[in-house]
Amino acid sequence: MTQRLFAAVLAMGLGACASTQNLESGTVPDPYEGFNRQMFAFNSGVDKYALGPAADLYETVTPEYGRDRLSDFLHNLKSPVIFVNDVLQGESDRASETFARFFLNSTLGIAGLWDVAEYTGIEKHNEDFGQTLAVWGVDSGPFLILPLMGPTTPRDLFGSGVDRALDPLVWTEFDNNPDLDDHIEMSRGILGGLNARVALDDALEQLNAQPEPYIALRRLYSSQRQAEIRNGRIDEEDAYEDLPDFDEFEE
Amino acid sequence: MKRYYRYFALAGAAVLMLAPTSQADAKTESYVQENASDVLASLNDPSLDSEERTEKFNTYMDEFTDMTAVSNFAIGKYARRFSEDELARYRKVFREYALAVYENELDAYRGEAVIVKDSVDRSATDSIVNTVIKRQDGKDMDVRWRVLTRDGKYQVVDVALNLDGNLIWLAIEQRAQFLALLDRSNGSAEALIDKIESMKRKLETEKRS
Repeated sequence: MTQRLFAAVLAMGLGACASTQNLESGTVPDPYEGFNRQMFAFNSGVDKYALGPAADLYETVTPEYGRDRLSDFLHNLKSPVIFVNDVLQGESDRASETFARFFLNSTLGIAGLWDVAEYTGIEKHNEDFGQTLAVWGVDSGPFLILPLMGPTTPRDLFGSGVDRALDPLVWTEFDNNPDLDDHIEMSRGILGGLNARVALDDALEQLNAQPEPYIALRRLYSSQRQAEIRNGRIDEEDAYEDLPDFDEFEE
Repeated sequence: MKRYYRYFALAGAAVLMLAPTSQADAKTESYVQENASDVLASLNDPSLDSEERTEKFNTYMDEFTDMTAVSNFAIGKYARRFSEDELARYRKVFREYALAVYENELDAYRGEAVIVKDSVDRSATDSIVNTVIKRQDGKDMDVRWRVLTRDGKYQVVDVALNLDGNLIWLAIEQRAQFLALLDRSNGSAEALIDKIESMKRKLETEKRS
């Protein structure tokens, strides 16, 4: 259940990409909770009445195999941005992995439709400029939920803008068809969003079944981002320092 | 040469100082090893039907975990504000819900064996035991158990799942949501009990038959 709930955090980003005064250890500040809750309700409505049904239809007409190929293809397209962020974070090993993955998948994997690099043991990872800023010591700022975009922070929002600027596809122009790049960009956004929504259907259901879905989303977005910034490494020395006292409310 | 003697002397002193802690760790580790293995075995026993499996699982979990401490922890300051009757009803439904969560969660991993890696003592009575749950599909799970010692008796009070470097402590996550729900409903025990009841019913429908 937790794994599915965890995935829901990503789902609530709906294709985009998540501690007041640090009341809860490990969570981002949330001084705009009232606004955020309204946006959360709005996004849930959009999901229930528009995105969810559209994703159901997409799932019906697209075989799982096709969705997997699209997912691999889209991830491969993100490789240049991931590579730049690997380098900016000084992660040379991860940068080499991203480069090798991009090369293998773009060639043997036929333009990234198949993740052949995974078979060779080079696992995929994500990086974005929000993470790079965090590595550079920039504070996340307050938790925000934006209409249609989902959970973010000012740092991650700015980072996603930089990532977009770094994306070669944004700068590509086709001589014979000047609108083609826009069409590709739009198709990528729509299909990527639908693909992600189908993959996380179960996760969203789990999130909405929580006692406080908004709180669950905020906490998991926050801790998930922290884990991503650490590249999944756990600092075992400090891992248990902030654990609360269990006997505080014992009778 | 003197430097080496001093090094060995310091190392020896360190070992002596750490000895009681290491011993405590070993006991806590074996406690988790034995009990977590029993719990997994109850889920994997093919001779049991759904009802028997749940009954056996719950019996082990009642022994293994301190459900009263966990239920109090999950509502924080409200443990003192609820009436006796509210607290009793809350604890009952919380226990049923928590057991259903743990059963579904552990069952979903299709775990075959629990292997203790190591442990960390936060204090003389508060330890974390790091384990790996071996799975049939090869996707081993990193699971950490928080064990408290009271009057010489060990009991688990929280479990963390390591999801891609994100340690999710189940009781802590539950507490954050329960407190938010109580804060938003003026501390209404009824609202919380009703919510837990409905979540429990949903979990029961998702249980393996």
